[in-house]
Amino acid sequence: MARISARTSEPGVVTTAPLPSPTSPEAPPRGWHRLSMSQKQVVWAWGFLALPILFYAGIRFYPTLDAFWLSLTDWNLLRPARFVGLENYARLVSDPQFWQVFNNTFAYLLIGTPTSIVIAFVIAYYLDRVRFMHGLIRALYFLPFLTTAAAMAWVWRWFYQPPPIGAINGFLATFGIPAQPFLRSTEQALPAIMVTAIWAGLGFQIIIFMAGLRAIPGTYYEAARIDGLGELAILRKITLPLLKPTTVFLVVLSSIGFLRIFDQVYNMTTNDPGGPLGSTKPLVLMIYQSAFSSYEMGYAAAQTVVLFSILLVVSLLQLWILRERT
Amino acid sequence: MATIELENIVKRFGSATVVHGLDLAIADGEFVALVGPSGCGKSTTLRMIAGLEDVSAGTLRIGGVVVNHHEPKRRNVAMVFQNYAIYPHLTVRENIAFGLYTSGLPKEKKAARVDEAARILGLEDLLDRRPAALSGGQRQRVAIGRAMVRNPSAFLFDEPLSNLDAQLRNQMRIEIKRLHQRIGATTVYVTHDQVEAMTMADRIVVMRDGRILQIGTPSDLYDAPADVFTARFIGTPAMNLLPASHGPDGLVVEGAAAPIRAPASAAGVARLLVGVRPQDLVCTDAGAGADPDVLTVTGTVTAVEPLGPETHVHLDTSGGPVIALAADRAAPPVGAPATALARTRALHLFDAASEQALGRAAEHA
Ligand SMILES: Nc1ncnc2c1ncn2[C@@H]1O[C@H](COP(=O)(O)OP(=O)(O)OP(=O)(O)O)[C@@H](O)[C@H]1O
Ligand SMILES: [Mg+2]
Repeated sequence: MARISARTSEPGVVTTAPLPSPTSPEAPPRGWHRLSMSQKQVVWAWGFLALPILFYAGIRFYPTLDAFWLSLTDWNLLRPARFVGLENYARLVSDPQFWQVFNNTFAYLLIGTPTSIVIAFVIAYYLDRVRFMHGLIRALYFLPFLTTAAAMAWVWRWFYQPPPIGAINGFLATFGIPAQPFLRSTEQALPAIMVTAIWAGLGFQIIIFMAGLRAIPGTYYEAARIDGLGELAILRKITLPLLKPTTVFLVVLSSIGFLRIFDQVYNMTTNDPGGPLGSTKPLVLMIYQSAFSSYEMGYAAAQTVVLFSILLVVSLLQLWILRERT
Repeated sequence: MATIELENIVKRFGSATVVHGLDLAIADGEFVALVGPSGCGKSTTLRMIAGLEDVSAGTLRIGGVVVNHHEPKRRNVAMVFQNYAIYPHLTVRENIAFGLYTSGLPKEKKAARVDEAARILGLEDLLDRRPAALSGGQRQRVAIGRAMVRNPSAFLFDEPLSNLDAQLRNQMRIEIKRLHQRIGATTVYVTHDQVEAMTMADRIVVMRDGRILQIGTPSDLYDAPADVFTARFIGTPAMNLLPASHGPDGLVVEGAAAPIRAPASAAGVARLLVGVRPQDLVCTDAGAGADPDVLTVTGTVTAVEPLGPETHVHLDTSGGPVIALAADRAAPPVGAPATALARTRALHLFDAASEQALGRAAEHA
C-alpha cells in the first residue's frame, strides 16, 4: 500500500498525459481512458487486492475484534454472553497458573529464539561452503520442517523415555551417567520440549539464511580478503551486516512461533498436556484448555487478547530495535 | 612499490587449462595493460597475482619474493573490481577506511589518509553518503580510494571502467592515469578496450586463449604487430588485410590495381596477407599510377562515415572490404568506384598460413 501511494505521488508519472480514446481521437477522453497510466496501475492493484483483503478481514480481523468483545463477557457456550467488564482479566491476574504459563511462554521465547537463530546461522554458514553432498545435507535439515509435529513428537518421546526404552538414556548409560527423567521432571520437561521445537524450525531457518548468504556478491568477500581481513572480521564487518534483513525476518518469525508454541507441547505430553504441574504449558495451550476443556469462552478470550498484545509488542519492539538506520 | 614477475604461470580449472605458461616481468612503477578478447584469461591472471586464485604451476614473485602460497593480505596488493565491490552498508568514508582496517594505524592517521584520498579523488563532499546515493563514476572512485589509502605494492584493476558510459570513461581514464603518475605504483590493468590500453599503459600485453601473443609499448604494438590478431586488435578502425601472392611482376595483392614490389621478407612465402591501416590508405581522384612502391586499391564505395577530423570510406574490393580515409574530407559518393593509395613502406606483411608478421615492406629508393 505504501508502495502504491508512493508511486502516485511521483510527479513524473502522474503528469503523464492521458491516452486519447482510440475510437474517437477528437473527443475528450472518457471513462477508463481518462485515467493516467499510474492511476490505472492503482486501479488494477486494488482490483487484485480487494478479494484477499475482504477474505482476510472476514477470517482474521473479525475474530480478533470479536475476541476483544468476548473477553468482556462470561460466555460459556450454554448461556448467552453477558457483559462482565474486566472480570476475566482480574481473574487472570490473580490466577497463579496464568503466571506459570506466562513464564513458560517467555522461557520458550527468550531461550528458543536466540538459540535457534544462532544454531541455524552457524549451520547455514558452514553448509554454504560445503560442496560435498550439499543437497543431501540440506534436505536432511529441511526434512523436520515437512514432518507433522505429531509424528515427530512420537519419535522424540521415545528418545526421552526412561531406560531401557529411551534412546537418550540408553546412550547416557553407556557412559555411566544416571538416567534422566526428562519429560517427567518439572525442571527438564520444558528444555526437553524446547529442543524439539528448535529442531523442528531449524530447517526452514537454515534455508532462509543460506538464501541470504548466497545473495551477498562474492566480490565483497574477495575485496575484503585483499584488504587483509580475516575470517572473523569478514563475518563481523560484512556478512552479518549484509545479512541483517534476513536475520530480522527470522527473529520476528521465530519469536512469533515460540510465543505461539502449541503442537510440540501438546503432542509431547498428550496424557498430561502441559507437563508435570504445568511446567511446560504455554499460553496457547492454556487458551485451548480454557476454551475446549472448561468451555470458559470469555476467560479464554481474555487470554487470547493478552497473547495478541504480547505478540504485537514483541514484534514491534524487534522491528524497532533492528530497524534500518540511515 | 614492487616488481611483479610471472614465470611460466599456468592455471587449470579441473581438466581445463585456461592460462598456458605466461612469462611476464613488470618493472617497479610500471603501468602494464592486459588486453585480449573475452575469455582469454586476463581476469584469471590478475586474480592469480592478487592471490584470489591459486597458481597451478609456475612461479609468481612480487618484489622479488615468491608469493605462490601467500594469502592476499601478505602480498599487499590492492585491487579494483569491475563491479566496484564497495559495501552498501557503509558510508563512503567507512568504505575508503576499510582499506586501512588491518593497518594498525592510530585513528587520526587513518582519518587523515581517508581525507587525503577523498581530496585527490574529489569525494570530499560525499564522505557521509551511502553507495546507493552515488553515481557509477563516484562509486568507482570510492573503490579506487579504498585501494589508494593502503600504499600497496601494486594496484590491480579488472576492467574498472567497463560499466561507465563513454564520456565518464574518458574522464576516469585520465584520472587513473594521473593517479599513477602521482603515486607511481606498479599497476596491472585489465581491459578489453584497446583505446584504454593504448592511452594509459607503458606496456601492453596482448593475450589470446591463455597465451601471450605480444608484449610491447603502445607504439611497438601499433607499428610492428607480431601477428594478424594483434594487428587487428590495436588501432581503430582495425587494420585492412588483403590476400596476396607472388606474380611475375611482383606481389599481386587482391583488390589492388597493379602488383607492388615484393619485399625481401616475403620471399619464400607463397600466400601472404598485406595489412594496411586505414590511416595510411587515402582516397585519390587521380587514376592508378604504375609506381611499384605504391599500393593502389580500387573498389566500390559502400558507406561513408564522417567523424569530424577524418572521414572513413568503406570500399568493397575484390580482396574484401577495406576502410580508407577520404582526402581532405571530400568523400566519393556511395556506389561510385574509388581508388585509394598507400605507400608500400606503410604496409604490414603476414604469412597467411601462420598469421605471423613478416615485417614491414621496406621501400626501395
Ligand atoms: N572458476 C572457473 N572455473 C572454470 N573455468 C573458469 C573459471 N573462471 C574462469 N574460467 C574460464 O577461464 C577462461 C578465462 O576466464 P577469464 O575470466 O580470465 O577471462 P577474461 O579474459 O577476463 O574475459 P572477460 O574479458 O570476459 O572478462 C574462460 O574460458 C573461463 O570460462
Ligand atoms: Mg574478466
